[in-house]
Amino acid sequence: MRADRRRVCIVLAAGAAASPARAAFGFDELMGTLAQRRSGEARFVEQRFVSVLDQTLMYTGTLSFTAPDRLARHTLTPRPESFVVEGNQLTLQRGERVRRLALDNVPELAAMVEAMRGTLSGDGTALKRHFKPTVQGTAARWTLTLVPIEFRLLGVVRQLRIDGQRSDVRVVELQLADGDRSVMSIEPVAEKSRTP
Amino acid sequence: MTRRAVLTIALWLGALAACVAVILHTRFSADLSAFLPAAPDPRQRALVEQLKSGVAARTLLIGIRGGTAEQRSAASLALAERLRADASFEQVLNGDLSAFAAVGRWTLEHRYLISPAVNAQRFTAEGLHEAIDDTLSLLGTPAGVLVKPLLERDPTGEVQRIAESAATRGGPRKHDGVWVSKDGERALLMTQSRADGGDLDAQARTLAVAREAFAAVAAPGLVLELSGAPTFAVDSRAQIQGETKALALTGTLVMGGLLLLAFASLRALGAAILPVASGIVAGVAAVSLVFGGVHGMTLGFGTTLIGEAVDYAIYYLIQARGSSGGEPGWRRWLHEGWPTVRLGLLTSVCGFLALAFSGFPGLAQLGVFSIAGLIAAALTTRFVLPLALPNGTPGIGLRRHLGRWAQRLVRLMPRARHAFTALGLAAVAVLLWRHDQLWQTELSSLSPVSAEALALDEQLRDELLSGDDRTMVAVSGTDVEGTLQRVEAVTQRLDGLVQQGQLANYDAITRWLPSQAMQQRRRAALPDAAVLRARLDQATRGGSLPARRLDAFVADVQQSRTAPPILLDSLRHTALAPIAAALLVQAADGHVTALLPLVHPPARDGEAVQAAVEQALRGLDHVHVLGIGEELRRLYRHYLGEAQAQALVGAFGVVLLMAWWLRSLPRLLAVCKPLLLAVLLTMAGFALVGVPLGILHLVGLLLVVAVGSNYSLFMDWMRHQASTDEDTLASLLLANITIVLSFGLIALSQIPALSAIGRVVAPGALLALLASAAYASPSARSGVAATPV
Repeated sequence: MRADRRRVCIVLAAGAAASPARAAFGFDELMGTLAQRRSGEARFVEQRFVSVLDQTLMYTGTLSFTAPDRLARHTLTPRPESFVVEGNQLTLQRGERVRRLALDNVPELAAMVEAMRGTLSGDGTALKRHFKPTVQGTAARWTLTLVPIEFRLLGVVRQLRIDGQRSDVRVVELQLADGDRSVMSIEPVAEKSRTP
Repeated sequence: MTRRAVLTIALWLGALAACVAVILHTRFSADLSAFLPAAPDPRQRALVEQLKSGVAARTLLIGIRGGTAEQRSAASLALAERLRADASFEQVLNGDLSAFAAVGRWTLEHRYLISPAVNAQRFTAEGLHEAIDDTLSLLGTPAGVLVKPLLERDPTGEVQRIAESAATRGGPRKHDGVWVSKDGERALLMTQSRADGGDLDAQARTLAVAREAFAAVAAPGLVLELSGAPTFAVDSRAQIQGETKALALTGTLVMGGLLLLAFASLRALGAAILPVASGIVAGVAAVSLVFGGVHGMTLGFGTTLIGEAVDYAIYYLIQARGSSGGEPGWRRWLHEGWPTVRLGLLTSVCGFLALAFSGFPGLAQLGVFSIAGLIAAALTTRFVLPLALPNGTPGIGLRRHLGRWAQRLVRLMPRARHAFTALGLAAVAVLLWRHDQLWQTELSSLSPVSAEALALDEQLRDELLSGDDRTMVAVSGTDVEGTLQRVEAVTQRLDGLVQQGQLANYDAITRWLPSQAMQQRRRAALPDAAVLRARLDQATRGGSLPARRLDAFVADVQQSRTAPPILLDSLRHTALAPIAAALLVQAADGHVTALLPLVHPPARDGEAVQAAVEQALRGLDHVHVLGIGEELRRLYRHYLGEAQAQALVGAFGVVLLMAWWLRSLPRLLAVCKPLLLAVLLTMAGFALVGVPLGILHLVGLLLVVAVGSNYSLFMDWMRHQASTDEDTLASLLLANITIVLSFGLIALSQIPALSAIGRVVAPGALLALLASAAYASPSARSGVAATPV
């Protein structure tokens, strides 16, 4: 009866602030870098590797983020659909059908949304509420790994791996507990990417 | 003893025996139904039915506080497990979804008859392609775990679709898989009993089961909070029973002590109790005969009758005192005192007759009870007391003093006449000034439930239902199929509102039990195996899920084509039974009501939602939108208005009766003035202390008029006779003291309904006596002067 955990893998990125790499690059530094960005738009290509299917599933579309809490994923192919979160409100649209959900009614979905929003806005506190974060690499090329803390979510999601360059998120890889996996490559839309 | 006397006694005892026989077969109830109106309009009937016997009447709200969060969720899980194992509970909800496994299995089995997506288009090659794509799009996301195990049986995702549209009744926040309050300090559960809400013994047992189960599983330091209609009903029954006993006992003791003091005669005391006891017995029997049962609250009000019925005895015992010229005292009293008492009785009956027609069963019972009780008390006084004490009471006791005090009162009060008039005018000014805050508008003011209990209920309800159940659509019909079809017409329009975001969601019985017509349409949309295979081949060509893997799907569709339809009766034997019972109510007369609770979108106020829904449903027959809080207020306002009109009619009847009896406008005015003053001053007093008046205060005012009319009629009689009979005055004073005392006791009651009456009558009756004395005419005053005490 758990209907409400759709479209959980979303991501986005954007922006390109130029903070020079430091010797010791950790979680706090990464959050500091990410927090400088206020909004952004990007194109994505997502591949999903699902054990029970013969082929890889492929999705393309656009992502956008507006601080502090608006996150939108518009899938263009193979079929148009949208996933928009604003505050606690999630709106899903596919064809003519619209569904609206309150995030806090679906805790696991809420955690996944927090993972993305927290990363994009550099909100370390929000991330640590649901995940154990580790950071590797340098400011120029980093990897943030998020492992769910809550037992229930861990039963579904093994980890979320986010690769980035400076303040851009470039790849989001979601590993599910059953071995399925989704890899989303993100290409910031250049003209909208910079903020003063 | 004369034959006549023997006959009188025999008749009296016979009547009492008959009444007792009726009482022995009487069903006493103590649920909250007395506080719900009986015959409202159709939309209100749906609401009242729902409140009385619907799922709300069986729903227990449970909170667990104290301890740590882990302890609370462990207690919630353990408590729910125990309660689910107990046959008293139909459903136990605590947010733990594992309890819904059976519902999930049922849904899977019947998906092609209940999925809103099933239609002919869905099973074309194109429709199948789209549906399968939708399902696949969940794979590789966390939501995939829900889809994956069923992929080959349900590639079109009907289960998913059913779950999506089924009310995502928000429900409370969750922690560790169970419901918790917003602040996280409370674990929350909700249960529905199998037994009817009106079966209070069964409800008392379910409460006991819940408490015992909690005691057995809870870590020390955890506290159980119970609320909801069953607790209210059970607690108020206990409270009503306890308080009625206590009030009757203390009332009798205080009254007995007072009468003993006044008369110094046990015999007189015994005689005074006869009319009271006869009145109560007759009242209970009359209510039982008229209503087929007696509400516990009526018995509580019965104690108020002690105060009024004892007056008759007091008037007789004092006024019939002493024989004169060989004529026994009772004969003289029949000429002098009885006509006034009789008129007082008739005015009281007139007042209460208005109540007897009230739409509130509780008030109607009170009216019938009072009428029968007062008539029986007066008849007992008139016919039986003369046989027991032909010359009134022999004892002296405090009577002399009472008479002297009363004389002094009658002498002094007229000096305050102008003050009284001024006060009366001031009262009118106060009432005009406060006219908009004078009356209560909440139904809860009638309820016997304490304010603290209501506050806890409000909190738990807010957390558990988050306002969702405050608006619902009620659809009625004379048979199940017709009603279901109407519901489908409604849901079609509601779906539009959900799409537009004007409504978050709603719940409807047709999600689980579509009309037979709808089930037939869906069944007809399912193609046979060969056709389905051909279309699947086409739909999955080049896709990730080849048709050869979908044999289970084809088999399930074939099975659904021949499976028996879902019927209400079959649903009742499944895990869906509680859901069906909550959403479809079948009355004993076959009348069917479907309820569709609406889930409001966040941050939209209830009235806007209700207006949008009303707009959308315009033109559909037998469909009503109920905003529960608003509807209850409207209901209460309606009945307050009704009670006000009835009280006015009653008061007018009283005035007419007195006019007919007195046949003199000046005398009528003289009699009415004190009563009006007493009522105005009491009301103004309430307005000044900021207590709004409710229906029960109105009943109290009616009692003030009924009781006060005796005082002013006696004063008028004395004025007319130009006598200031010390005994009559003593009897008035004593009668007044007993009233003020007995209603003073009632004012202390913990039951708001009872204390409201007491708080009006005690001061009102005192004011009525003082005002009656104040307006005693000059002739009475000169009489006093002529015969110094």
